[in-house]
Amino acid sequence: MSTEERATPSALLLILPVLILLVLFFGSVVHLFSYGFYEDGEFSTRYFLQIADRPDYHVVFLRTVLSSLTVAVVSVVLAYPIALLLWRSDRWRNTLLIVVLVPWLVSLVVRTYGWIVLLGPRGVINEFLAWLGLVDAPVKLMFNDLGIIIGLTHVLVPFAVISILASLLEIESNLEEASGVLGATAFQTFLHVVWPLSLPGAFTALMVIYLACIGAIVTPILLGGMTHNFVGSQIYQEVMYTFNMSKAAAWSICLLGLSFLSLILLKTIERRLLGKRS
Amino acid sequence: MAHRTGTIRILGIALLLSLPAPIVIVAGASFNGGGYIQFPPDTYSLRWYLETFTDPRWPMAFAVSFGIAAATAVIISAVNFMAAYYVVRYAPRIASALELAIFSPLFFPHAAMGVAMVAMVGQFGLLGTAPGIILAHLVITLPFSYRPIHIAMRSIDPDLIRAANVMGASEWQALRDIVLPLCRSGILTSLLFAGIISFDEVTVTMFLIGPNITTLPVQIFAYVQDSASPVLAAISTISVLVTFAAVLLLDRYAGLTFFVRRDAA
Repeated sequence: MSTEERATPSALLLILPVLILLVLFFGSVVHLFSYGFYEDGEFSTRYFLQIADRPDYHVVFLRTVLSSLTVAVVSVVLAYPIALLLWRSDRWRNTLLIVVLVPWLVSLVVRTYGWIVLLGPRGVINEFLAWLGLVDAPVKLMFNDLGIIIGLTHVLVPFAVISILASLLEIESNLEEASGVLGATAFQTFLHVVWPLSLPGAFTALMVIYLACIGAIVTPILLGGMTHNFVGSQIYQEVMYTFNMSKAAAWSICLLGLSFLSLILLKTIERRLLGKRS
Repeated sequence: MAHRTGTIRILGIALLLSLPAPIVIVAGASFNGGGYIQFPPDTYSLRWYLETFTDPRWPMAFAVSFGIAAATAVIISAVNFMAAYYVVRYAPRIASALELAIFSPLFFPHAAMGVAMVAMVGQFGLLGTAPGIILAHLVITLPFSYRPIHIAMRSIDPDLIRAANVMGASEWQALRDIVLPLCRSGILTSLLFAGIISFDEVTVTMFLIGPNITTLPVQIFAYVQDSASPVLAAISTISVLVTFAAVLLLDRYAGLTFFVRRDAA
């Protein structure tokens, strides 16, 4: 449907609610900045300088960025075999898609809780290892960076599957046939036809997952504990425990800046690798 | 070459099955008769489910989450239906600009979004209230709900509406009898998708709760940190079942293909 009709004044009422929501959202961003740069009514860059100064805060940012990159790359790699499986199975695709979608949509906190049950010192994995007689004392699988990365990866793999599958489903089947007719083996077809055409979906997944990770709070708190802070867990503590909105806002603004810089960087890399197509 | 594709296939199946594994283990552990988390369970019992229902805090949090999800889904779907109708029918030229604005919350890291929402909700004095949480959920679900509705709206043949107008149907009648039914699957997708997101949202919501109100995922988050009771496994399983049911409804009445298409948006 696309006919341009002349809008009656009352038709403008149709777009009003969404505009109100957008004004509220962008207003909240303005608010965030005023909290970040004003403390007790006075302009202040105190918390930004603090972030620039303190090495322990640099560690928090570094941990967040490096863990998020790791999670993004590992998620995309693990998602490929699943996406290919779904793409190949026409008949079962819908059922298999449910197996991917439900874990994706189930609450983050429930999925992370599942990993506590698995990774904890008395968790399923440690009990199993002990039962096999492989370990004497529980292996430390959580309350460290490893736990955070495992948890976040599991939370985000489903999205990567969906994104890659969307790219695969766009491939016209006669391309594959043509490749076969011209004498390419199944593996050659995959390497030269399927894989390059799936890259846009993989890149979308990489970016979205990276963004989701650097803003994560729940999984880092539950699986990393209070000693392995993410930027998100630090922000949460400033708001909920020390009630320091200015500091929380300053951290949030840095997080925003970080995500925009990363996004621009990833977009540039994507353009270099994939050409002008995307 | 055949064995190589075979290996990838087996790997795919193994990885696919690992996705629901933690949820399945939690569900299994929730039926354990003992007082701690155990998988596989030693003895089977429903005592943790009974405890979930007798402690009033869990049914309360469940009701709050369900109510907030329903309100969010209905309001955001209505808002986006009106907006998409306006854009497609009256102002296609602003479509891409509006889309950019609507999708902008997606590029906001959730932790920063949480603080921004505290600022917004606090400004209206709505911190720790249901309307405050709903307001934040409307912002969060906005892009997810707009996309399916807009896709459905765009695919309607404009001649149908012209024909209706020529035959004497009013604008309102055309909207009600032609546009609305043809957008049905888009609206259903929006309702269920937004509902699921709201029901399961925790990262932003936990900034907005108060002494008088909390949602199910936020309460689970609070309990996980200082309790190892299997009650958590039981309540988690119940929350998974709600999401599962919503996905099945989505599959049955609107189809899941929406999730795996790139073209639109």
